[in-house]
Amino acid sequence: MNPSTGGLTAHPSRRLNADAVRENLTAFLQQRLKRPVAADVDLFAAGLVSSLFALELVVHVESAFGVTVAGPDLKLDSFRTVGAMTALVMRLGGAGGD
Amino acid sequence: MTEPPAAAITTMVTEVVGDRPDAWDLAGRLPLDVVRRLGSAGVLCPQVPDTFGGLAMSSVAAGELTAHVGSLCSSLRSVMTSQGIAAWVVHRLGDPDQRKEHLPRLTGGELAAVAFSEAGAGSDLSAMTTRIEAGDDHVVVSGSKVWVTGAVYADLLLVFGRYGDGAAVALVPISAPGVVVRPLPAPLGCRAAGHADVRLDRVRVPTDRVLGGAGMPLPWLVTSALAHGRLSVAWGCAGILRCCLAAAARHARTREQFGKPLSEHQLVGRHLAELLVAEQAATQLCGYASRCWDAGSPELVPATVTAKHFAAGAAARGAAAAVQVLASAGARDGHPVARAYRDAKMMEIIEGSNEISQLLLAQHAVAVWG
Repeated sequence: MNPSTGGLTAHPSRRLNADAVRENLTAFLQQRLKRPVAADVDLFAAGLVSSLFALELVVHVESAFGVTVAGPDLKLDSFRTVGAMTALVMRLGGAGGD
Repeated sequence: MTEPPAAAITTMVTEVVGDRPDAWDLAGRLPLDVVRRLGSAGVLCPQVPDTFGGLAMSSVAAGELTAHVGSLCSSLRSVMTSQGIAAWVVHRLGDPDQRKEHLPRLTGGELAAVAFSEAGAGSDLSAMTTRIEAGDDHVVVSGSKVWVTGAVYADLLLVFGRYGDGAAVALVPISAPGVVVRPLPAPLGCRAAGHADVRLDRVRVPTDRVLGGAGMPLPWLVTSALAHGRLSVAWGCAGILRCCLAAAARHARTREQFGKPLSEHQLVGRHLAELLVAEQAATQLCGYASRCWDAGSPELVPATVTAKHFAAGAAARGAAAAVQVLASAGARDGHPVARAYRDAKMMEIIEGSNEISQLLLAQHAVAVWG
């Protein structure tokens, strides 16, 4: 599905996984936004994310890490920064985190 | 429970619909028993998982079914699109209890309509003013929605509105006090799709009928719902093209003028060629978008807009060509190509007009290729 997914689950520890999730998300964003994206930059306040791209982001998070983001988790704050998305993925047990 | 294969479902739909869509168009109404029968067979939202009583179809299989329904009757297909959006929104935004409560109803014969547009909020849905206000154990929904597809048949309304600083979706029974449904008297196309204006006058519903994703920014909320609707519309347009291609090819083969079949007149032949290409291209774009949905690829987002934009335009041009080929044989209300002509035009407007689709695609072009 996503070539970057395979390597992520190979990391043994939760800490390393969070790093890998962060790296994957940063790479995805930088490729599409064509600029560096720090883990704490507010993507929405910075006007970097159109509504269409926001949906792509949600689907990317789901497919790259094998999680389902639905119901109450599907809120802006979960996707506001790379850090917030990483926390969401780890909480949902993606990337072998749990 | 063993699921009936897609082919059996398609046959069932063909039999239930029969040759009646012409009359439905003239009457401006679908028989409620037909809609309910298809609804209770899960046909109107075929992607709902079997754990909720659904047919658990992939996006590709559901798309082909949607195209089939669209080839028979765009009004019925529009109702299917609404039911599909409703089920998708409940599945996507609802919490587990809400899914368990409402999805089996949507596959069990209950009919849903989705209320987005308002008089001052069409393409610009961010201008919507409908409010969902929180009370103790209930919410109060107030506003006026327009052009709600399927509202005439619906038991349940999914109402998009402002909620706190963001937006939410409330599930409002059509029978709730304060809900007034006013059918649109004479829509240009999809005349039997049950379009109506809906007024919500301080309608109280229990808080657990506000879907779990409440408080999201409005554009987020509608983008996901519209994406599902757009792909359904796109497949429906592929169906319109199939209907037009069949009608035009049949007529051009059998009708003779100047001593030979119309198909041997080169200018008529060109219409057939373009219809053939349009049907294949629309089907391929829809198929690609659906495969992206089934694979969970982010590419589903632009692929869906691409498919919708191409298929709607191709259906509008193709239907106009089919009317041209059939000429007087097809130029009366109710005739499949006359319906297609009016219905396809509506598809260039609904779920993101041509121009809105172009704006979205232009943004994507700059992001990816710029």
